Amino acid sequence: MKRNSQATVGSFVISGFLGLVVATAAQEDDLAAVSSALAPRAEALILARCSVCHSADLIVQQRLPRARWEATVEKMMHWGAEISKDEADLLVRYLSARYHQGAPDQVLPLNHEIGKTEPLTTEPAAGGPLVGVATRGADIFAHNCQACHGAGAMGGVGPKLAKNPILAHEDLFWETVLRGRGPMPAWGAVLTQQEIADIHAWLLSR
Amino acid sequence: MNDRGPAESTSRRSILTKLLQGLGLGLVMPSRFLYANAGSDNNAGTKDISSLTVRVSNPLDAETPVREFISFLTPNARFFVRSHFGPPPPEAVSVANWKLRVGGLVDRSSEFTSKDLREMESVTITAVVQCSGNGRAHHRPKVPGVQWDRGAVGNAEWTGVRLRDVLKQAGVNEQARHVQFQGADRPVVDSVPLFVRSIPLEKALHPDTILAYEMNGRALPLLHGSPLRVITPGWMAESCTKWLTEITVQAEEAKGYYMQTAYRVPTTPVEPGSTPNVSSVPVEAMVVKSIIAAPQEGETVKAGRVTVQGVAWGGGAKVVKVEVSIDEGETWTPARLVGEDRPYAWRQWQFIWNAKTGGTFTILCCATDARGDVQPATSPWNPSGFLWNGWDRVTVMVSA
Repeated sequence: MKRNSQATVGSFVISGFLGLVVATAAQEDDLAAVSSALAPRAEALILARCSVCHSADLIVQQRLPRARWEATVEKMMHWGAEISKDEADLLVRYLSARYHQGAPDQVLPLNHEIGKTEPLTTEPAAGGPLVGVATRGADIFAHNCQACHGAGAMGGVGPKLAKNPILAHEDLFWETVLRGRGPMPAWGAVLTQQEIADIHAWLLSR
Repeated sequence: MNDRGPAESTSRRSILTKLLQGLGLGLVMPSRFLYANAGSDNNAGTKDISSLTVRVSNPLDAETPVREFISFLTPNARFFVRSHFGPPPPEAVSVANWKLRVGGLVDRSSEFTSKDLREMESVTITAVVQCSGNGRAHHRPKVPGVQWDRGAVGNAEWTGVRLRDVLKQAGVNEQARHVQFQGADRPVVDSVPLFVRSIPLEKALHPDTILAYEMNGRALPLLHGSPLRVITPGWMAESCTKWLTEITVQAEEAKGYYMQTAYRVPTTPVEPGSTPNVSSVPVEAMVVKSIIAAPQEGETVKAGRVTVQGVAWGGGAKVVKVEVSIDEGETWTPARLVGEDRPYAWRQWQFIWNAKTGGTFTILCCATDARGDVQPATSPWNPSGFLWNGWDRVTVMVSA
């Protein structure tokens, strides 16, 4: 046990050190290069987390120094944006690299598709097939899906999902959530497979 | 709502392209996309918003192109829209379901239906309504918030009942000092603070402060607060709560983010770009301002007599002078004030510019009110970019 924990501490130190090196190198990089490297994940987060309450056009018109981006992301987390500490750091880096005060009025869109972003988890969790938990799914739905699919999954801009036939076709349901469909963006880069299973379980209970 | 959403046949690629364009450009969204986001309804005035410049597609923030300000009244469909959370579902504010509740420090908590209000004495007031952030994009260094250019303002005829008549029916207590408003709009996520605002009792009891149910002679459109919104003539629009459902009379100013943190300006000058820790007060009255509606930015005009025209307004006193400069403010010539002269409306002005030679010229305008307040070259910087009223400027090409 002791050896193990020492090894763990050691790897944290090393990864922490590597992280520092990477961060320092990144700060010295051309800002555009930093922003391209971060873009796929950051933009997927913006689409999923920020667009629940407001469209991305509000974000891309800002030209702010890093401190104000930090304050803004922190305010949004305080208001309920579903962003982890790591995700917040990523967003601040991306936003302050791309939408800083010296950035031109028009920042061209990046040449990639959000749907191509790597899924967070491609394999089901070890230890057997995923079992969705409906009680968790309600909360995950409220923070990720409700803005378009309405309270109680009763529909809004997006279709009503309560009692929707797609729920019986799990492969189609998963494909739609992971890869997107029509106007719906892909959620594979944002939701874990467990979270998708939880949402599915909750929708079935509606 | 569903039938207004993007058509089934819309390819995913085109949607992604739009999303990416949105991420990169903050473009004017296709109207179909807007309908899906703006909360569709059947009210007159909300169907055609394609003439607005969209700053945020959801919830909708859209400004009026300044060429519209050639007319004295701004048409409902071309009036700027500012949303904190977007309109409530139409059924929540339908005539059948909607009620106005008045409570707090009153003798009788009261409820009013649309019918009750329409049976009371009605008044019509022409008033400018302007977002406090109008012109935010001109502050340097730049500040966070919707990057409004010049068009988050409009002038309309508002018809409704006096707020004081409503308060009188409920009976305001002696301890009352502030009147708080809340609308039926709600954030997507419950942890986001509600848009709750208050105004001092004195402003609430002013005979020109009204609860409006009509805009330019038509039923108030959903995007503008149907069925009832507050109009505080002379004051900025954050006091003009839309979709009004709750009035609470109280001893204190409203608590919460939108009164205690947002919509405030520092009481002392602050270093541009700093995050000052100084005392602040809520934004209330508008500041003296004029804008050029014609010619347009970048327009080519023929040498000779060029008609320069626009509008000017103030918050506390009437506009008495508008001046125009063609030489970056070296010399100024008075414009002619024309058209209607009403206390809270804007004043139209005209200036005939004799453009003798070809070339590129910048036209500036500057208004002065009866108190002697003069529109400055640039407004004092403040962290939220409120109350911009710097000289308006339009650059044109004169063809010889």
